[in-house]
Amino acid sequence: MNQNEAVVNRNILIAVDQSENAHRAVKYVARLLGGIGGGFRVAILHVIIEPESDFFATHEEKEDWLSTNTREVEEMLAEYRQFLIDHGFAPENVSIHRPVRYCPSMAECIIAEQEILEYGTIVVGRKGLSRKEEMLFGSVSSKLVKIARNCAIWVIE
Amino acid sequence: MTDMYSQEDLRQLCEPWLASIRPNHQFKIYSDTTDFFRIEYGDILMLDSQPYLIRHNAKEGRFGLDDEEKFWVKRAIDLQNGQTKIIKMVFHEKFMAHIGDIFFECFRSPQKEERILRLAEGHPNFMQGFSVLDDHDNIIRVLDMIQGDTVADHIRKLSMNHETYFYEQFPKILDNYISCIEAIRFLHDHGEKHGDIRRDHILVERDTGIYRWIDFDYNFRHRENMFGYDLFGLGNVLTYLVGMGDVLIQDLHANNFLAFDKLFEDDVNIVFNNRVANLKKIYPYIPESLNRILMHFSKGVTVYYENTVQLLEDLREYKNNL
Repeated sequence: MNQNEAVVNRNILIAVDQSENAHRAVKYVARLLGGIGGGFRVAILHVIIEPESDFFATHEEKEDWLSTNTREVEEMLAEYRQFLIDHGFAPENVSIHRPVRYCPSMAECIIAEQEILEYGTIVVGRKGLSRKEEMLFGSVSSKLVKIARNCAIWVIE
Repeated sequence: MTDMYSQEDLRQLCEPWLASIRPNHQFKIYSDTTDFFRIEYGDILMLDSQPYLIRHNAKEGRFGLDDEEKFWVKRAIDLQNGQTKIIKMVFHEKFMAHIGDIFFECFRSPQKEERILRLAEGHPNFMQGFSVLDDHDNIIRVLDMIQGDTVADHIRKLSMNHETYFYEQFPKILDNYISCIEAIRFLHDHGEKHGDIRRDHILVERDTGIYRWIDFDYNFRHRENMFGYDLFGLGNVLTYLVGMGDVLIQDLHANNFLAFDKLFEDDVNIVFNNRVANLKKIYPYIPESLNRILMHFSKGVTVYYENTVQLLEDLREYKNNL
């Protein structure tokens, strides 16, 4: 692929979590593209941040957290998948991904997954952070827009 | 391990530091610090076969609680060489911290502090020390005592007007603080955050004047920008140093209404809305290039610093243009 050319395909990657803004992103794709055919494929992505051992008193506590979190993420992704299917996507065209990654920046992790999966479009919900929150903690959608290359970013309000 | 030193050996080693020891005094000796509340003044802590005489618990003002006693942090004497040490035991504290009205979950992480101690070994702008496992595999940090004031106290003790301070004291203070920012850059370059950058977490070493960061055990689950909170802390300390203390809205209203009257909503700190960020409005001799840096931490900010490199570049530009 030409390094300067965007991936143009009908593969859409929706990066989600359990927030209301992620729900909005999934709903938007469901309502925009559900049932129209056209070979659109959707991958629903949640990157599980590999927990740093710093945060846990024991290794067991860390493993417990990871397994509980993974179970909850799988349930969430299954619900989103079903939502898309209910809105007209063929089941074989909706996949889910929940990689566990060391993730200093979620935006960079999402881009890395997009590159692996070769999806041409990333969809995220905008969290609506206040200016001070964005300064203190950063914004995933802003960073995605800033660093993405060779793909389109949809930020759903 | 504890058999290496008899009670008589310990009595002799401790004699210079304990005012009076009865001949039959029996020291309590600990090599497992899990229950750190039991370890008290005058007890002996054995770490890696080295005896330490426990003195007082450390204290720290935090979140408005002045002199909060930290039972897991003890002053101690290294009985091998007589040096005073700070011994930090493992306390897996989790708590909700807040900056203004933003809450986030914080952790104390001995692992993080251990890593940074190793990383920053020999670095002049960090506290120095080492870590050792006790008999229960707790990560104990043995820290060199730094004699000196916090940078906040250092500034508070200066008695002069701001203009004199700004021209006579601030240039040297800024040089020292730039070294501190470089030190934070060093951490960030190695994937670590300080986690609790505050003006009382820089000590000004009395003998050398060197500024040293302390207390690296705070951690939190960062969101998108791992270093945003550190950068915010750096900006707040810088504003404090430029202003020779916090310039508070209430004080201006009471004592300098002319200056108060010039302020707009965007002129205050982005989080602490009672602190003035636009200090040039209070002290007009502050150069624009320095004030612009402060405005990156104001309520009116539209462009944020994303890393220490950007902040350092702007500070250097200010200094070069002087």
